[in-house]
Amino acid sequence: MEHQNNDTYLAKWLAGDMSEEELMVFKKTAEYKDYKFIVDVIGGLDTPTYDQQKNFSATLNKISNQNQKSTAKVRTLIPSWAYAAAAAVVLFLGYSFFFQQTNFQAQLAEQTNFHLPDGSEVILNAGSEISFKSFNWDSNRTLDLTGEAYFKVKKGSKFTVKTKEGTVAVLGTQFTVNSRSDFYNVTCFEGKVMVTSGKLNHILTPGNAISIQNNIAAPYKTTEAVPSWTAHESLFNEVAIYEVITELERQYNITVSGKENLKTAYFTGRFSHTNLQQALTTVFDTMEIRYTFDANRNVRIQKYK
Amino acid sequence: MPDTQKSVCEQRVFEEVFNTHSKTIRNFIYYKCGDAAQAEDLTQDAFVKLWNNCAKVPFEKAKSYLYTLANNAFLNEVAHKKVILKHQKSVSSIASHESPEFVYREKEFKEELDRAIANLTEKQREVFLLNRIENKKYKEIAEMLGISVKAVEKRIHGALVSLRSEIKEFKK
Repeated sequence: MEHQNNDTYLAKWLAGDMSEEELMVFKKTAEYKDYKFIVDVIGGLDTPTYDQQKNFSATLNKISNQNQKSTAKVRTLIPSWAYAAAAAVVLFLGYSFFFQQTNFQAQLAEQTNFHLPDGSEVILNAGSEISFKSFNWDSNRTLDLTGEAYFKVKKGSKFTVKTKEGTVAVLGTQFTVNSRSDFYNVTCFEGKVMVTSGKLNHILTPGNAISIQNNIAAPYKTTEAVPSWTAHESLFNEVAIYEVITELERQYNITVSGKENLKTAYFTGRFSHTNLQQALTTVFDTMEIRYTFDANRNVRIQKYK
Repeated sequence: MPDTQKSVCEQRVFEEVFNTHSKTIRNFIYYKCGDAAQAEDLTQDAFVKLWNNCAKVPFEKAKSYLYTLANNAFLNEVAHKKVILKHQKSVSSIASHESPEFVYREKEFKEELDRAIANLTEKQREVFLLNRIENKKYKEIAEMLGISVKAVEKRIHGALVSLRSEIKEFKK
């Protein structure tokens, strides 16, 4: 019947614009009952009550408030002490900007990763601390480290890591520095790293490491592509849940079905790479996502609250 | 006649415009954002702007001016989140003279309908609810939104088709 390719006949029906014959034919179709039912139920719906008087006075209020504001603006003279206060604020902000240190800390049994102002990446191992000055970072890339950290340095000016035992200087590269209390260890993963400790001077190339104890340097080789401590956990800071689940899939070689139906939510936290059950619990339970897990390592998301 | 023309700058006229249109504009925004308080806020703002520009807006244009303002304010301020319009728990008038089976079905059906309405496109939802709940004629809606009557009919039709396909009970 001609309804089928007409994209407004339902609108005509609602408005009562259908002819007798059209209506007769439509009433015989299977879908008529459904549409009738929908329309009947919607007719019983209601919107929240509306208090016209209240809204009108609110509107008048807004109008008079805005008038007050605009006249107030014109009349107010800036008192002279305000200039002094403003100058003090500027001085204080300037001071903070030029001299203030930025600090990052990793507590025991956790790692922290963050980006430096130039985009270089730092992974800070447990119980370590880094501080640096954000001001003019691009031309003075120097930071202080206590503990152990992994650096992925963007190409640019010289990048210097100062520790109690010595300094490490590089141009774009990846390396770790471990400067615990009685131990100084630097591993180079990419590029060239210059290690200075006391009077010792060493240049490391990729795959090489050096540990220095009591002013004795012991070079050694490493086959790792990245330090292992950075690799057994995934960390997230306000990452879309979809990305987190994708990472879970990658780490454990599983498939999670239904993840594309999840509402947007952000996950902050970490999961271990060594215990799947625990990792699933970590991610899904905290996000209140119900899921099933079968023998074929398929995870199915059931419902998202 | 130019001298009989009403000016929105007169408070009496302004109040008249408010009383005629504010509720529908509130609901129009409510159908979009699902938040009555926010809808009322945006409606008030639209009237404030109308008042500020009263000299520039002729009385006959006030209505479409208000809708445009409210709609723009909505677009600027409200993220396009999905809307679940909470139906008032008023006793449905149709339930009283229908069979018990209808009453039962209607109850569980309402929840599903809520979800289906939320899943309509914003354009379908506003047009459909303006027609069904506000009892606005297609022509009025077309004028409010600055679109053709045909476009309104298409959206109404599309909304019904979409509602029917969203509701599981009908798929049996």
